[in-house]
Amino acid sequence: MEPIPEIKIKKKKKRRARPKQGSTPKSIVSAPVAAFLSAIIPGLGQVLATQFSRGLLLMAAFFSSSGLLAWRVYLLAHREPTAMAMFSKALGRRPFFVGLVMGSIFLIWLWNIRDAARQTRPERRGGVGIFVLVVFVFFSLGWQISEINPYKAITDLPQALPPLSRVLWPWKAAFTYRTETVKAHANILIGCEDPLPQQPERGPGEPYLKSDPTCGELSRFDENNNVIKGTVLTIEGGNFEPNSEAQIWWVDSLGNEFRPRQEGQYVSVTTDSEGSFKLELVMPYRLTPPSARGRQIHKVEARQVERVGGPIPAEPLRLTISRMIETIFMGMMATIFGIVLAIPISFLAARNLMSGSFITMGIYYITRTILNIVRSIEPLIWALVAVVWVGLGPFAGIIALTIHSVAALGKLYSEAIENIDRGPIEAIQATGANRIQTIMFAVVPQMISPFVSFSIYRWDINVRMSTVIGLVGGGGIGFILVQYIRLLDYRAAGIAVWFIALTVAILDYVSSEIRSRFV
Amino acid sequence: MLEVKNLTKIYEDGTVALRDVSFQVEDGEFLVIIGLSGSGKSTLLRCINRLVEPTEGEILWDGEDITSADPAQLRKIRRQIGMIFQHFNLVKRLSVTSNVLSGRLGYVNPWSSIIHRFPQRDRETAGKALEKVGIADQAHKRADELSGGQQQRVGIARALMQEPRMILADEPVASLDPVLAHTILGYIERMNQESKIMVLCSLHYLDLVQRYATRVIGLREGRIVYRGTREEIRKMTDEEFKEIYGEEAERISAGRREE
Ligand SMILES: Nc1ncnc2c1ncn2[C@@H]1O[C@H](COP(=O)(O)OP(=O)(O)OP(=O)(O)O)[C@@H](O)[C@H]1O
Ligand SMILES: [Mg+2]
Repeated sequence: MEPIPEIKIKKKKKRRARPKQGSTPKSIVSAPVAAFLSAIIPGLGQVLATQFSRGLLLMAAFFSSSGLLAWRVYLLAHREPTAMAMFSKALGRRPFFVGLVMGSIFLIWLWNIRDAARQTRPERRGGVGIFVLVVFVFFSLGWQISEINPYKAITDLPQALPPLSRVLWPWKAAFTYRTETVKAHANILIGCEDPLPQQPERGPGEPYLKSDPTCGELSRFDENNNVIKGTVLTIEGGNFEPNSEAQIWWVDSLGNEFRPRQEGQYVSVTTDSEGSFKLELVMPYRLTPPSARGRQIHKVEARQVERVGGPIPAEPLRLTISRMIETIFMGMMATIFGIVLAIPISFLAARNLMSGSFITMGIYYITRTILNIVRSIEPLIWALVAVVWVGLGPFAGIIALTIHSVAALGKLYSEAIENIDRGPIEAIQATGANRIQTIMFAVVPQMISPFVSFSIYRWDINVRMSTVIGLVGGGGIGFILVQYIRLLDYRAAGIAVWFIALTVAILDYVSSEIRSRFV
Repeated sequence: MLEVKNLTKIYEDGTVALRDVSFQVEDGEFLVIIGLSGSGKSTLLRCINRLVEPTEGEILWDGEDITSADPAQLRKIRRQIGMIFQHFNLVKRLSVTSNVLSGRLGYVNPWSSIIHRFPQRDRETAGKALEKVGIADQAHKRADELSGGQQQRVGIARALMQEPRMILADEPVASLDPVLAHTILGYIERMNQESKIMVLCSLHYLDLVQRYATRVIGLREGRIVYRGTREEIRKMTDEEFKEIYGEEAERISAGRREE
């Protein structure tokens, strides 16, 4: 057969013999030189023994850990004039930390010298055990740098328990009762000039209040600011709510009301099982204005606050529910906007669709890069930007979540498009189907399950995110949660936390359920 | 009658997959195409229904030039050509019935078909087609729930739905075990013999070629290097078969292909 040079023939890849293990280039320095160099610059000996990564790793570990230690020592004792003084002061303040890290670094240094010598030998033995010590040094540094303090966590726990328990069981604040005030009064004449004041009329069974006497003098102060006690009134009430508290109020002739005190306490009584009570009340001090001269009639009044009807949701609960709804819808709207915008973008970011020409490949790379950058920025940061843009509120949150969703979904969708199987498309085309039929029969069925599952997953994430996006002013439940925490209203905050947890749990279940149906 | 004249295919990357290929197939023939991996078998079959656009040459089917057909004509031609694939190429997420019905897409009203509405008559034929290939009980399963052999039967039922006058089968049994191979090729042979449907099929195993082919062409590096009649192929020995495959033939000697 004549040779046909133009024809490409696919050749099977021949397996090339792999280079044998251990054929790394020989060391370029002798053992003592390597040890000496590593004593001056840790790792240098290993590098010159052509164990590059080992040497560089050691070098990096040694210098970064000593650098970090120096920084911490400086922070502990920066007032000291000399390095030695700083060091001994720091050792004095944190003997355990400074001593341990210092000692370990010294050990690493020693080991490194020995290792450098060993690495020059052809068999290149030497364990990696020392790197456990390196990790330990970084762990100790990390402990100190990040101010870890388990002791404080334990000792401060008792203080944290009361607010914590309120957060965990906040339902006391969730409901209130509508109240009605039951009251009755008696008229009291100031200065006992006839005639005595008329008493209010009362029907049978209505609460009443009787006073004996029905006139008297208010408490006063003499020139030396000593109290001259007023008349003692014996007050009797009846037909009140049994076995509950009744407050005593005083109403002066101008209609100003206040609660009189006796021995520093507001005067109140508890009714007996019949709803009656009896008490003695010293007529309180009241400065009457000059305009109120003449016959003055004050009132003594007993009031009971009574619950009517069943419990009704209190303000925090109502606000939480309405904000929770807002949150769920924020997540939903952001997801919908995200899906709508991500679909066209995902076509631009799908390699198989864009591999046509240099221009389309360029668009592909640009789109991919933008998506990656946008996606790597957390929604909370986008929310900060959006708050500056459109102001506080749920719209800012929606913008932030939408931006992030577009990027995340755009990537997922484009990967779904890239993974599409060409086979069924060809098979459907081969039956004589037109373009739309091919899309509906071969493309859509392949896309639908990833699209649905990614979108649901995103909705799930968006609702979760929208619960925290309020922390930076992006609306939703997070917004009231921070407010409650700042106001130290832990019960209200607890209600919000409970609702967040509940919603997320339900959502988790629903979304995984839907996704498992579709996949 | 199908006439392929001077067919050449050069892919965009410069690969010459077919070089000046010419042959004829009469109605009712079972033409088997043999050749090494990469010799251009798939390319040839795909050129015939223009899943791959030929670079040069003509393909005449009963005098009509497939290569110059406009899109509407091409769809009319394609609907009469059933295609069976090595990897079945079913739409995995659709039901078996939907996959079989998709064979009617070239005939039905495109608008109602895109919402998967097909005439009652087609639905009945689909049932019968599934019965013919022996998987009527699987009709409501999703295509990817079936075994490989069952999936290929769905592929054949889909081709049957087209009421085809030609079948293109690209290694229809290469991903099935040998026992199934005869079943599947048996269905294709039945279509070929009962309805005089022309079959173009690429195969790898000599025993299968000898059993089913009425005529054979051998490809190597995009050229036809062997033409044989039924009788010639029956007499062919393993050694001669290997010759067509060239120097690398040892690898296929056991009737098994190395991928
Ligand atoms: N889309 C394509 N783009 C570029 N080259 C292609 C393409 N498809 C096939 N080829 C090349 O064309 C030549 C023929 O391929 P073809 O798939 O027709 O071979 P085949 O005989 O079917 O092989 P197999 O038995 O492995 O299926 C091969 O060299 C292949 O690499
Ligand atoms: Mg092939």
